[in-house]
Amino acid sequence: PGPGSSLPQSFLLKCFEQMRKVQADGTALQERLCATYKLCHPEELVLLGHALGIPQPPLSSCSSQALQLTGCLRQLHGGLFLYQGLLQALAGISPELAPTLDTLQLDISDFAVNIWQQMEELGVAPAVPPTQGTMPTFTSSFQRRAGGVLVTSDLQSFLELAYRALRSFAKP
Amino acid sequence: EECGRISLPTPIVHLGDPITASCTISPNCSHLDPESQILWKLGTELQPGKRQRLADGRQEFTITVAHLNSPRVLLSCCLRWGTSLQILDQAEVQAGYPPAAPHNLSCLMNLTTNSLICQWEPGPNNHLSTNFTLKSFKSRGNCQTQEDSIPDCVPNDGQNHCSIPRRHLQLYQNMGIWVQAENALGTSKSPQLCLVPMDVVKLEPPTLWALDPSPEVAPPQPGCLLLRWEPWRPSLYIEQKCELRHQPQPGEASWALVGPLLSQTLQYELCGLLPSTAYALQLRCTRWPLPGHWSDWSPSLTLTTAQQ
Repeated sequence: PGPGSSLPQSFLLKCFEQMRKVQADGTALQERLCATYKLCHPEELVLLGHALGIPQPPLSSCSSQALQLTGCLRQLHGGLFLYQGLLQALAGISPELAPTLDTLQLDISDFAVNIWQQMEELGVAPAVPPTQGTMPTFTSSFQRRAGGVLVTSDLQSFLELAYRALRSFAKP
Repeated sequence: EECGRISLPTPIVHLGDPITASCTISPNCSHLDPESQILWKLGTELQPGKRQRLADGRQEFTITVAHLNSPRVLLSCCLRWGTSLQILDQAEVQAGYPPAAPHNLSCLMNLTTNSLICQWEPGPNNHLSTNFTLKSFKSRGNCQTQEDSIPDCVPNDGQNHCSIPRRHLQLYQNMGIWVQAENALGTSKSPQLCLVPMDVVKLEPPTLWALDPSPEVAPPQPGCLLLRWEPWRPSLYIEQKCELRHQPQPGEASWALVGPLLSQTLQYELCGLLPSTAYALQLRCTRWPLPGHWSDWSPSLTLTTAQQ
């Protein structure tokens, strides 16, 4: 199908499953950061977030006001790609959290590949694959953990919006 | 000093093939004189060898075994020395077949170990040390083209299964998988599978409970049971369907099946049963509507229906 306004059911079912998995991974990371380091509330880290310059990916084409399939898929993929980079920058967060972080990265990577393949099948994949921009530099263990809280919190919001958008692309 | 040295064209041959071995006697072997007799011991059986003198003056004794019909033979070059038989050198010859193609390759995605576990049948014994390797690659299409290779998965000795760890997998993309068998006489390959790891996921069994009557929950009708269940927690993100089976106890009658059922139910009333009768109940779930394998049945829950 051309880039109309609906997506194949099997693709959407896989996306929803992957999104729930990434959300579950993110929640697991947040819970462990809270339990181990008492970093439980992103709101307490807003200033630090500004100082670190943690980017937030745009999802304007996925918002209900300006919903547009091709644009939304590209922004969704771009966002997932950005979060892969941000999570990579958190490497060394702590030995106990490393497995949880690895799982989150692998699941996000799988999800990004699924989106990219669907864009290719629709013939709307960008000509040039995305390249990672400059990532924030986390200079201490505390900054990596705080960055972990902020990035996963942003990621959850990102996924919520993406979930609603993809819901609307299901065949009527 | 070393008196005899055996040499073989190859230490491993096809079962039933011939093999010729030679034992070269060192000229400065002081225990040897022209009348000394060199004999071959094939396993426990003594056999004469053909004697010939080499250009450099050394003596060489050869033996040809027309058909090596035993997977493992010890070949000894011996010198009759007085009343005793001295073993100068010994070689082991193995015989077997090239490996048959492994078959019945199947894989399951295990979310507990977070790995793709594949198993296969090795095929008949070929009498030789055989290495099995699980080979795979990621593919965008239907495994006709290979995108990224995945590191070989080498099973532990003697095992016919191997686990590909999560970090080498893309759970929602096709991958081609096959088993290679290799021994000294050759290599063979199983047919190739083309699968998506998550489409062969096998979940752990769900948990099934009795629902005890409470102010909010009325007692069950006669011939009914109140149940609730929950899928395996790590699989909560996966849409599933389940099916229930029940059997009156003691269990002569066969299982009755109820399904499809939702994967999560806080209260379910199972009716149509015999009153005042004990029943064994089990539940299993599978990923659905996306593909997957049925979990094993949950442990049995035994409940008794109310009286009439």
